[in-house]
Amino acid sequence: MQKFFKIAMLSTVAALSIGAAQAQENVVWWDFLSGGDGVRMKALIEQFNTEHAGEITIQPTTLEWGTPFYTKVQTSAAIGEGPDVMTYHLSRVPLGVESGALAEMSAEDLSSVGLSADTFAAANWEAGQSDGKQYAVPFDIHSIILYYNKDKLAEAGLLGEDGKPTGLDGAENFMAALEKLKAVSETPLSVQTSGDGTPWRVFYSLLGQQDGVFLGEDGTFFPDETIPKAVKAVETMASWVEAGYAPALTEYENSVALFTSGESALHLNGVWEVPTMTDLAAKGELGFEWGAIAIPTFFDHPATWADSHGFAIPNNVGKEVTPEKKAAVLEVISWFNKNSLAWADAGHIPAYTPVRDSEEFKTKEPNATYSILADTAVFDPKSPLAGVASPVYDAVANYIAPAMNGELGAQEAIDEMKADLQDQAD
Amino acid sequence: MIRNYRREVAVAYLLILPFVLTYGILFLWPTIQMVYLSFTDAPLIGPGSWVGLENYYEMFDDRRFWTAVRNTAYFVALTVIPNTLIGLAIAMMVSRLKGWQQSLILAMFFLPYILPVSVVYRLWNWMFNIQFGILQYPISAIAGENINVFRTQWLFMPAVALVTIWWTCGFNILLFLAGLRSISPDIYEAASLDNANRWTIFRRITWPLIWPVTALVLTIQLILQLKIFDQVYLFVQGGRPDPSMVMVQYIYSLAFQKNQGGYGATVAVALFVIVIVFSVLQFQLLRARGEK
Repeated sequence: MQKFFKIAMLSTVAALSIGAAQAQENVVWWDFLSGGDGVRMKALIEQFNTEHAGEITIQPTTLEWGTPFYTKVQTSAAIGEGPDVMTYHLSRVPLGVESGALAEMSAEDLSSVGLSADTFAAANWEAGQSDGKQYAVPFDIHSIILYYNKDKLAEAGLLGEDGKPTGLDGAENFMAALEKLKAVSETPLSVQTSGDGTPWRVFYSLLGQQDGVFLGEDGTFFPDETIPKAVKAVETMASWVEAGYAPALTEYENSVALFTSGESALHLNGVWEVPTMTDLAAKGELGFEWGAIAIPTFFDHPATWADSHGFAIPNNVGKEVTPEKKAAVLEVISWFNKNSLAWADAGHIPAYTPVRDSEEFKTKEPNATYSILADTAVFDPKSPLAGVASPVYDAVANYIAPAMNGELGAQEAIDEMKADLQDQAD
Repeated sequence: MIRNYRREVAVAYLLILPFVLTYGILFLWPTIQMVYLSFTDAPLIGPGSWVGLENYYEMFDDRRFWTAVRNTAYFVALTVIPNTLIGLAIAMMVSRLKGWQQSLILAMFFLPYILPVSVVYRLWNWMFNIQFGILQYPISAIAGENINVFRTQWLFMPAVALVTIWWTCGFNILLFLAGLRSISPDIYEAASLDNANRWTIFRRITWPLIWPVTALVLTIQLILQLKIFDQVYLFVQGGRPDPSMVMVQYIYSLAFQKNQGGYGATVAVALFVIVIVFSVLQFQLLRARGEK
């Protein structure tokens, strides 16, 4: 009898302690999201923690975007001090894999929480792969869009029957539209013309619209047949500045300010500035009606640069992941994708197809208007030299932005950029 | 008393042991590691395989490396001597003041030195701002229009040099002031009895007697400015990084952005050698001149 009690007590204790262990599954989370989308991500994390109270708790930390984040991930993973899960640009997966900072995710693990190739757009899912192995799960698709000032466009007669901008497709038509807008707006088109960022995103979109190949299969940057297309893309961008439609030497923040202050009628920038507009409009500080559409088709067919925020697991050297921890991390990745409708408030397009196809998203503005770009997205070239805050971005700041300002010729810019990148790759 | 020589040596070694250990672990060992790394193709983290002198061959053929060397040399030329001379001039003016006035003025000149570089960057970036910067008034008066100084290639380095001198001059002033105070007033008194004018006093008394301090300041400046990174890195943000790339920035870009730890170490070794050669050479030269 005593023995029975003993066993009963022991098993109760054991059961309780397992329960307690599960109850305290902490998931250390790193991201690089500050500003408007950071606020929205924090709200999602809180919602997750509330819904999983007593099971999983996310412990979030926000780090500096760009090179500092990716360096920290790499160094911390190498000594087993990385987080359990982190946000990761899919464009940076090649470097992460090359430097051994990312852990592979098995198809079984992912499908155990309902994530697989069929639940994402094909190009998007593949952007998280290297050599056919999955290293990151997409969370959103973010791209550049054309923000517009409805009042100014109406004045210039550029609004169609449906209240959406019209007559912007085609490089010449776009110039003509800018000419019309010049009458109602000092600087009709606000676009970043100094540094990397927007110049890269616009350039890569224009290249994609002509089926240009940035990085060939054999590792050549700008293969010969692409060069004229790249030059044409740069010339088009430079023509906006040369004609006085877009401001010269303008940095990112200033390009946003030009639009939000009502000075520019059009603004080329990422979807992540949607919260800026939404919040300003909600506070009544914008002073005009705004909207956003997918960027016009300047050349042969629609195509837009895109990148994704995804989730990745660092390859924490010497740190064993318990099955419970693994299950918790997978639950986090899956839950965030299934609840990514809220993330669309940050301007992004949900990567998870069921959410993108849902009624709620299809009626969500302005996202729904530009969500077609999910299908025409061209993701960053797959190379450790490419992706956010990469040598390719630097090369854009060194050659393409100066070409936009007329400091370099278009042909010269492309030639030098090619030589520079090739030199770095070999 | 009989001195136990052995014992004394043992105690001496024991006393310097903590220093030797710290120095060895924190300075010597990493330096040796760096040199070793430069012969490998290591990434940022983890070991690489031995490639012999390949990195060095690559470096001598590397356009960016030479750009970085040129820019660093240019920056050194723009800052080291001007910063020293301005420091001396201000120190001589400050030394004429007495009591609280001197302390106040000195404090004002020293203030920028205690600011972190990020604050210095913010201040000057704002003052040079093309639309709202206060410095655009004199600039437009001279040039006829506002100029985006940090985006104009030929103005970039001089502007950063100006900011650097403003930022670091306070320390030089302090060193010079200490040097000036150590010159005995009797010498000046004797000179004025001989009816020496101010220029002669400076040339024959102050300049030779302050020379050891000048040599020290020049050497410190040289080493410091060869390692320039922060200001250039910050001011170029949002612009074109390559044309104004300096050596430490190139090392940073190689190792952290491009994951080439081995090659980054090679450039670091090159910088290390340049710093050692130039500073030793300069210090010896200056000392020799001073002893004449």
